Amino acid sequence: MKRKDVNGVAELSQPGLQLPAAQRAAPRSLFWDECKRFVRTQPTGALSLLFILLMTVTALLSPVLAPYEPDAQYRESIMVGPNADFWMGTDDLGRDVFSRILYGARISLYVGLVTVVLSVIFGTLLGVVSGYFGGIVDMVIQRVMDGIMAIPALILALFIAALLGPDTKHVILALVVVETPRFARIVRGEMLKIRETTYVEAAKAMGARAWRIMLRHGVPNMVAPLTVLASLAFGGAIIAEASLSFLGIGTPPPNPSWGLMLSGATRYMENAPWLVVFPGLALSLSVLAFNLLGDALRDYFDPRLPS
Amino acid sequence: MFEYIVRRIVYGLLILLVMTVFTFVVMRLVPGDVVTLQLAQAGVVSEEQMAALKSEMGLDKPVWQQLLIWLKGALQGDLGNSLWSQQPVMDMIAKRLPVTLELVGLSVILSLLVGIPLGVVAAVKHGKWADQLIRVTAITGLSIPNFWLGLLIITFLSLWFGWIPPIAYRTFLEDPVVNLQKMILPALALAVTLSASTIRMTRSALLEVLHSDFIRTVRAKGASERIVIYKHALRNSLISVVTLVGLQIGILLGGTVVLEYIFSIPGMGSLIFETVSKRDYPVVQACVLIYGGMFILVNLLVDITYGWIDPRIRHQSSKA
Repeated sequence: MKRKDVNGVAELSQPGLQLPAAQRAAPRSLFWDECKRFVRTQPTGALSLLFILLMTVTALLSPVLAPYEPDAQYRESIMVGPNADFWMGTDDLGRDVFSRILYGARISLYVGLVTVVLSVIFGTLLGVVSGYFGGIVDMVIQRVMDGIMAIPALILALFIAALLGPDTKHVILALVVVETPRFARIVRGEMLKIRETTYVEAAKAMGARAWRIMLRHGVPNMVAPLTVLASLAFGGAIIAEASLSFLGIGTPPPNPSWGLMLSGATRYMENAPWLVVFPGLALSLSVLAFNLLGDALRDYFDPRLPS
Repeated sequence: MFEYIVRRIVYGLLILLVMTVFTFVVMRLVPGDVVTLQLAQAGVVSEEQMAALKSEMGLDKPVWQQLLIWLKGALQGDLGNSLWSQQPVMDMIAKRLPVTLELVGLSVILSLLVGIPLGVVAAVKHGKWADQLIRVTAITGLSIPNFWLGLLIITFLSLWFGWIPPIAYRTFLEDPVVNLQKMILPALALAVTLSASTIRMTRSALLEVLHSDFIRTVRAKGASERIVIYKHALRNSLISVVTLVGLQIGILLGGTVVLEYIFSIPGMGSLIFETVSKRDYPVVQACVLIYGGMFILVNLLVDITYGWIDPRIRHQSSKA
């Protein structure tokens, strides 16, 4: 810290000599400036991000924070409504709904995160290759992606998940197949634009190889649309996991997946409405946070759009 | 225009073929098959029995031969028989498809009826409290999973009003009252997502149009705000709304699966859900084909509607 201050002073007197230090410092301060601008211009987005971070911490710390074990059955309090001991009531096996919702966040976030990361990786690879090379490669990749995308997302996920049998890994695989083409399409579009830019022409003139242009010049310039889509896809993945688990082909019991909790609740709807309300509320709030974040990121990256 | 439509149809058929090959191969690559499932119910079985059943179903041939046989049948309008009930797949689809179409149709109508007016209000009152309220409502509607909404509707209608939707399904022609009683709630649950996106799309498209030069001209010639919005601006922003409905049809069709399951409605969604885990290959294959076909068809119609809403596109493509 001290050295930085000295450099700062030195920079004033001898600007030419301090260029490397200034370059090193620039990206960090730029990042923080951008963060500040995001918080200032998109307060809802910032709040959503805060909510998501809070949810992640809660999910990670659920063994410490949850008042009960998610699978512990309390025989004397089966299907009791919300009270001081069980804040969100208990289910038909006498399990604490609140603790199960806390643990359930782990499943939702895990499925969302892995799905989005894998879809971004595969989608970007396919899209970049498709957009950069064009021609027959592009044709083949795009037709396959179009074919997959013509099957409604949830139907395709159901198709794959039901064939493979109930398992969280299978849900993720199904959702990656669903999401990858969507990322591939938008990345391809960006790559087509980037391919025509002068800086790519310059890179080519300097003898840069195809993969270098794709990775160093292509990918960094599509971070904005990718982040927006990733945020929306994250929410979509959470809903899809819950839907599949609800149908009994997602996360298997006794895991506290929110969809599975809702599915168990259908048998006791009139007697125990809290079993329907709380898991769904958790589900909706987390999806809302990701949707709001996605919206905020879109407005932030593209201020021209009417907000 | 005609040439354009033909080109789009050919392209749509190509996509349909890719999709068919994809599902056909995936279904047979995944471990576990229909023969083992069926014989598992019979208890102890010999290798010969398995082989016999396999060849009876035509599953002993290489996958590409099975695919060609299926495609040949499909082109002649024969989608085969169910491997479990031996019923012709065509009959099964003919019974289930109208149910799902009714559900989807109802929710599209509901969404447009709610979504467009609210979107217009939000755009006209841009930045005012009404706009804020509608925007918050829209993003919330977009985030609530429609199957949870369906569950909430059933739970609280029976809890507060003691009303339960009719158990048995009747077609609209058999008994319109029972039919609508059963269909309106899932359609409503399904419509929430689409009306939320309709609101957002109408609002942003209308805002963009309202800022364009020609609207200023219309205003300058002294047209009333009513004329500006309904005759000029809304018409020009409808094109985005129509595109949106086309794109959202996939989400809508996906949503029907869970809602048909919750409300026990015998549509396509429950059909594919029942048959895919039983590996009833021909039925699942046909379902996917129909779903993809609907998606492609709707998007083709959307493209044609463009020309109808915006004459410039119509003239452009007829010249090309």
